Amino acid sequence: MGVSVAYLVSGVGDPAVELYGGQLVVDGMALFFQVIFTSVTALVALASYDYLEDMRHQAEYYILLLLAATGMSLMAAAGSLAVGFVALELASLPSYGLVAFLKQNRGSVEAGLKYFLVGALSSAVFAYGISLVYAVSGSLLIDAVAESVRNTGLPGVLGVGVLMVLGGFAFKTASVPFHFWAPEAYEGAPAPVSAFISSASKAAGFALAFRVMTVAFPIEGVVGAVDWVLAVQVLAVVTMTLGNFAAATQENVKRMLAYSSVGHAGYVLIGLAALTGTGDGGLVLGAGMIHLLVYGFMNTGAFLFIALAEYWGVGRTFADYNGLARRAPLACVAMTVFMFSLAGLPVGGGFVSKYYLFAGAVNAGVWWLALVGAVNSALSLFYYSRVVKAMWIEEPAEGVDVSSYPSTLYAAVITAAIVTVVLLPALGLFSGFAFDAAAAVLF
Amino acid sequence: MYTVATGHAYQSTLYTWVGGEAVPYELTFGILLDQLSTLMLVIVSLISFLVHVFSLGYMNDEDEGGLARYYAELGLFSASMLGFVFADNLLMAFMFFELVGLCSYLLIGFWFREAGPPSAAKKAFLVTRFGDYFFLIGVVAVFATFGTAAFGGPGVEESFPHLAELALDGEASVNTFGFAPSTWFTIVGLLVLGGVMGKSAQFPFHTWLPDAMEGPTPVSALIHAATMVAAGVYLVARMYGFYALSPTALGVIAFVGGFTALFAATMGVVKREIKQVLAYSTISQYGYIMLALGGGGYVAGVFHLTTHAVFKALLFLGAGSVIIAMHHNENMWDMGGLKDEMPVTYYAFLSGSLALAGIVPFSGFWSKDEVLFETLIHGLGDSPLLLGAYAMGLLAVFFTGFYTFRMVLLTFHGEPRSDTARDPHGVRWNVKVPLVVLGTLAAVVGVINLTPVHTLVPAVPEFLHDWLFHGPEGLNGEHYEELLHDFAGYTKGYPLGETLTMLASAAVSLGLALAGAGLAVALYRGPEPVEHTDKLGALKTVLFNNYYQDEFQVWLAEGLTARVAGAADTVDVSGIDGVVNFVSSLSLFTGDRLRRVQTGIVSNYAALLTLGLTILLVAFGVMQGWFL
Repeated sequence: MGVSVAYLVSGVGDPAVELYGGQLVVDGMALFFQVIFTSVTALVALASYDYLEDMRHQAEYYILLLLAATGMSLMAAAGSLAVGFVALELASLPSYGLVAFLKQNRGSVEAGLKYFLVGALSSAVFAYGISLVYAVSGSLLIDAVAESVRNTGLPGVLGVGVLMVLGGFAFKTASVPFHFWAPEAYEGAPAPVSAFISSASKAAGFALAFRVMTVAFPIEGVVGAVDWVLAVQVLAVVTMTLGNFAAATQENVKRMLAYSSVGHAGYVLIGLAALTGTGDGGLVLGAGMIHLLVYGFMNTGAFLFIALAEYWGVGRTFADYNGLARRAPLACVAMTVFMFSLAGLPVGGGFVSKYYLFAGAVNAGVWWLALVGAVNSALSLFYYSRVVKAMWIEEPAEGVDVSSYPSTLYAAVITAAIVTVVLLPALGLFSGFAFDAAAAVLF
Repeated sequence: MYTVATGHAYQSTLYTWVGGEAVPYELTFGILLDQLSTLMLVIVSLISFLVHVFSLGYMNDEDEGGLARYYAELGLFSASMLGFVFADNLLMAFMFFELVGLCSYLLIGFWFREAGPPSAAKKAFLVTRFGDYFFLIGVVAVFATFGTAAFGGPGVEESFPHLAELALDGEASVNTFGFAPSTWFTIVGLLVLGGVMGKSAQFPFHTWLPDAMEGPTPVSALIHAATMVAAGVYLVARMYGFYALSPTALGVIAFVGGFTALFAATMGVVKREIKQVLAYSTISQYGYIMLALGGGGYVAGVFHLTTHAVFKALLFLGAGSVIIAMHHNENMWDMGGLKDEMPVTYYAFLSGSLALAGIVPFSGFWSKDEVLFETLIHGLGDSPLLLGAYAMGLLAVFFTGFYTFRMVLLTFHGEPRSDTARDPHGVRWNVKVPLVVLGTLAAVVGVINLTPVHTLVPAVPEFLHDWLFHGPEGLNGEHYEELLHDFAGYTKGYPLGETLTMLASAAVSLGLALAGAGLAVALYRGPEPVEHTDKLGALKTVLFNNYYQDEFQVWLAEGLTARVAGAADTVDVSGIDGVVNFVSSLSLFTGDRLRRVQTGIVSNYAALLTLGLTILLVAFGVMQGWFL
């Protein structure tokens, strides 16, 4: 993490470093995403120390975690479709294992299996899409693909290929209609793993999606064959709406967070959906990246709070959180910060990043996307504040005893909260990197 | 102070909190020290210091509770006022203006456990807030028009008064929203004036000030002499270069000032409580300052601001001393005969009263005389409308003399009319020292600007006049006079020649003041004065009820505003809430449906996933014509 931050700040990615004949590209965007992955991984690893206490196979857990993180980093740096696919699998396969880590727990195993099955199907779709693209372009390097897809004679084949590739990304980012695995997996998995998958894995999906869609299929070159921006717009609207609406009716906090995570994927999709060619593309794409950065902290923190609650044996529904603030005020302040920041209130970085996203969308002429996003945000405040209300206002339930305070889990939650808050004023520091990196990818 | 005294000024931007390339306006904090602000700083810090000393006697020796809170609020109050005076732009001034308002709210409501103070504090807050609302719009308008709200000063390239001046000359273009520049500048000026009138308690926003007497007396001295109320007129003087461009705005200022001076003075005539009389006299005196500024007498206005700060602080502290002695009974009809019991207070108070009434040679005479003289000569020039304002101001002199001496006589002369007055509570050094200092100053501070004497004997200097005329470029009295002449069309007229006109004016105002004082002496002299107010008949009732201004404002708030608010509430509850509730129930319903899609059976997921992808593919296929 330190290395990637240092690289990012010192500007190693400018101009991009290409390795292995362009198979790997280390540029500003890759480094930016690697900062997200490594931060989330560090937080999750820190939190897992207490969560996994007295469990077997701890070594395997950390190895899987690091393998997945490696895969994600590769995804962010992938310079060809083949590397992208392999990296995606490298990130996914350990994730399946992690979700099913609690081998004695039916829910965990079942979730892992479902995740794996849906993942296998999606990988198949993705691979098929890649092969169709290859058939049209004759290359797997994304730069070369961009050259040859311009005014291709096979628009139908290319179009199907692009949409299928998009489907592969939709799986990784838990976007509709490839989101079905997400609620189950997040709920069944150990909470730190949920945090890891919902934050880092989603960001990895977007890292690959941003690079492939913008570099390999520049919209002005392929619009005759497939207007993928329109497809992403549809996906974004459906994803946001479905995620938020479903989250609003959940009784289970973890499941609510899972759906809200789907909703946030919809917000970030705006970053791609607003690349209409009008307006400042770098701004909106950078805004998507920034949102993922902030999301990496606030969402990880929220799931880690759940991990904390699970550690204490508090139940999983909203009602079980009643009055928790009296016993663990510090952690509950942190959770409140996460919730309000997720909803986009100006207590954390979530406010600014969402603002950038919507402003970018308006700037690009797709104001209706911003409008849908804003309506969804308003709805999300409803279910996020339910958690806050339960924690602070409701009378505590009987029989729950918060006896011990796991230090590393606590440290991880508090760190995430502090970073979330600090990102509100400090986002200007990162936004410059993000906007530059996004602009460099686009042009 | 030294830098400024040698004819320089200092301006520095300390902190830019919104700025940069992408932002059209820079919002900054900075300080501007020129002749005007340094003079004001001296006044504010002097009065504030004396009030702190006096508070030791008024609060500590009386064993009041909440002293820590009291001094914290007092300190914050002084700090906000100093920040306001330091401000180098309108927005910063506005922010400190609001802080001053907040502190006055806190201090007026200091004894919050009693019934009166909290309500008075709320009233002060709401009424001034109403004025500040216009001020805020004015600030935004200034930004939108000029892109800067700087007052000017050395090193400031673009200040809004200067830009406005250029725009009127056609040398610069600013966004005037479709109005002619002069019309628009008048509108902006009047908007800012709303805040000024609220803070300086000018008609019709004066109603809060008498009620504000519920606060501790040192606070009244601070608020009514040096700080909050002065903030309003100081702002006019601060941006005088802007107001000088608009004859209409100046006319409004002059008329509001003249009318307030007369109006408040008549109400002060019948009051029973010593602090109430002082409150109305404050309103009236600030009316004079506004009259001076509106009438083109920049120096006169600032001069009166200075002398008034001194003698009104003195009077309030004197009243505070009397109130200590009277065990917090403020009714003048219970006093009497205090002259012999508390000589220090008496002589200091008398000095302040003579200044207030405008009796030669006390400070108030010089400043009030100059206020009236300036208005008169400009009125005799090409602005005959000012003569109306002048007439009101002149008439108010008579009432001022009357109520001042009525107050002095009732409080200190005659036989004691109650037991506490026979055996008053003693006061200590910390009460006496501020009184002595201010009493001396009230007598002699007029020396800083002996304009009439200067005209007769040029060897006698006019310190204040020279001081204000040598400010930085664009911020000095000389520049303002040119602006007044060029843009507002103010010229001076001397029907009797300069010297004679001046002497005539001074003689008339002094004569009226003496007449008022004489009438008071005639009516309330003797050991057992009686109430003469009944002779006024119905007029007394009207005056006693402050012309029913409070009732009118309450009607405005309850009868009118509350009904409009009620109607808005109905629309909100039935219309908007209905829509919102519908949306939320719709979302919950949809959410519930969506939840059922998640069956938990993985083959369903796979099917749905494939179906979704297929729909997407088919839709795009048809749309883009892949299958043709």
